[in-house]
Amino acid sequence: MKRLQLQRWSSSALSSRARTGGRLQRHLYSSNRFQSTNPTPLQSEADQSFAEEPSIPSTTTPSPKFTKYQLPSPPIQAARESAKLAALHARLYLPSRLPLETLARCLVDPSADSNSQFNNVPLAVLGHDLLTHYTSEHLICTYPRLPLTVIFAAMFAYAGPKTLMAMAREWGLEHAAAPGGEVDPGFLQFKRVAPGTDTNAEPLIGTTRPNEDQKTWRKSITSSVVYDNEFGDPDMAGVPSSESSESAIQTQYTEGVTVEQASASFVRALMGAIYLHAGRPAAKRFFEQHILSRHLEIANLFSFNQPARDLSRLCARENYEPPVAKIISETGRKSRHPVFVVGIFSGQDKLGESVGASLAEARTRAAVAALKGWYLYSPLNVRVPSSMEEKGAAPWKPVYVDLGEVIV
Amino acid sequence: MAAFITVSKRPILGLPFLLPSCDSVSLELRRSQSSYRRTKQRLRVKPDASFGLSSDKTQDHIIYNPPSSSPSVYHTPTKFLPSDDIRRSLRTDTTADHLNTEGLPSVLKSPLGKKYHLGPSDITEIRKLRLGDPITWSRSKLAKRFDCSPTFVAMVCEAGPQKKEIQKQVLEAVQSRWGAKRRMAREDRKLRKETWGRDE
Repeated sequence: MKRLQLQRWSSSALSSRARTGGRLQRHLYSSNRFQSTNPTPLQSEADQSFAEEPSIPSTTTPSPKFTKYQLPSPPIQAARESAKLAALHARLYLPSRLPLETLARCLVDPSADSNSQFNNVPLAVLGHDLLTHYTSEHLICTYPRLPLTVIFAAMFAYAGPKTLMAMAREWGLEHAAAPGGEVDPGFLQFKRVAPGTDTNAEPLIGTTRPNEDQKTWRKSITSSVVYDNEFGDPDMAGVPSSESSESAIQTQYTEGVTVEQASASFVRALMGAIYLHAGRPAAKRFFEQHILSRHLEIANLFSFNQPARDLSRLCARENYEPPVAKIISETGRKSRHPVFVVGIFSGQDKLGESVGASLAEARTRAAVAALKGWYLYSPLNVRVPSSMEEKGAAPWKPVYVDLGEVIV
Repeated sequence: MAAFITVSKRPILGLPFLLPSCDSVSLELRRSQSSYRRTKQRLRVKPDASFGLSSDKTQDHIIYNPPSSSPSVYHTPTKFLPSDDIRRSLRTDTTADHLNTEGLPSVLKSPLGKKYHLGPSDITEIRKLRLGDPITWSRSKLAKRFDCSPTFVAMVCEAGPQKKEIQKQVLEAVQSRWGAKRRMAREDRKLRKETWGRDE
């Protein structure tokens, strides 16, 4: 199977302006250079002519239609001149096939430039889908028994906006005070939310969930799979674009976005850009190096209300002997600081063991340990479905699929 | 003990328990006199059996003496492994923690056993009694009469609205007498119980 050449059909996401390497554009550049008497490189022509225009009315250089100050985001020619952009490219060890112009486009938030030919929205949509797809398949294949709430929490912890913002900060990304054509393209361009704006003021309208206005209705966690987004939060983007009015989107962008939203959309757009320019293996490598390498203690995401009851239901479901709590050892029973070590046994097998300052505490904690032992089962030699896309992959073996979490 | 007496440089009359006439009871009550040599002597504990070479093995071996701690939750119990998992066969008899489960005492005082002895007629009887005279037939009394747990009574039927109202008023009256300390202690206890489920 030959690898797909993604660059050929990726023109829907990349505007013509971004593809500076095109033969036609190069041709135009060179012809311009021959006509011009100005020895400076063409990329700096725009600002040079802007600076010189009031004093010397030159006939050779055609006067630009827009000055830098009128543009909502930096022009594409500025990307090659920005030291910050080149430094960011080198620091992230991005593939050389990803040009600086696309990296500059990843840094333009829709709140700065509403034209989707110049902002990072198309790339961010693709990157978000890739990130959540890779994360979810990793989680579900590595821990096939995880409850749905824990999967949602782990998804948010791996690929949620807060994590992406932290990543962008660790990469040394700087924010522009205000977007504009004259700003260095190495800065993250976005319009900030006005100070004092209450972000949670208006109720959520336009989610994909039916009867969303009913506040008192119970929202089951299973319905989140259908109606909510990847993190179990209300999904706003699921509405078809024909229904949502363009003006509503425009007002949303003109109001400004938070640093968190802008940084997250930059990281997503970068993921999409790597996928389009350098292909799937590079995108997968980027994901593994930057997302999966972050340590997440999944055992800490659990919270049980009645662990002893859940465990007894689990043992009944799996046809094990009913669990019995037994004292393994204890010290200082009548003292101020007793310590009890309690184990939970099903027949001869120990399911969990824990320590507590009272018998009830030790028993509850032991039941929690037993339930975590069940839920955190991980098969050996885990493979994810997307590993089949590699060249010469071994034949696929079905992954372990569990019955599901305990329902009481 | 002889060395202990000779080391002491203090006048022997000031330390009456060092006199040969003192009995064992007074010897236990003496102040501890720490010196370098005595501290070293006390720290000279016997090493764990796994540290040394065993008699039958003359070659090098791995010392496995883990510190006492709760087992990791990522270590799935053998019973929870799926039937086709290879770890199930690897762990058959090599695991060291073979506890005698029969000899261990239970946490609960009465052995937990479900009898399933109540039929539909008993349950209608419980409901009738509880709705008819909720003051007399409380949950515990019903549990005692039908030989079941109060939880089972609560599962089977709910108290009437008047009884709920009375119970709420009683609770409010009791709670109104609590001071700040007791209220805070109760809240803390509740918060502490929630941390058990989160394993903090």
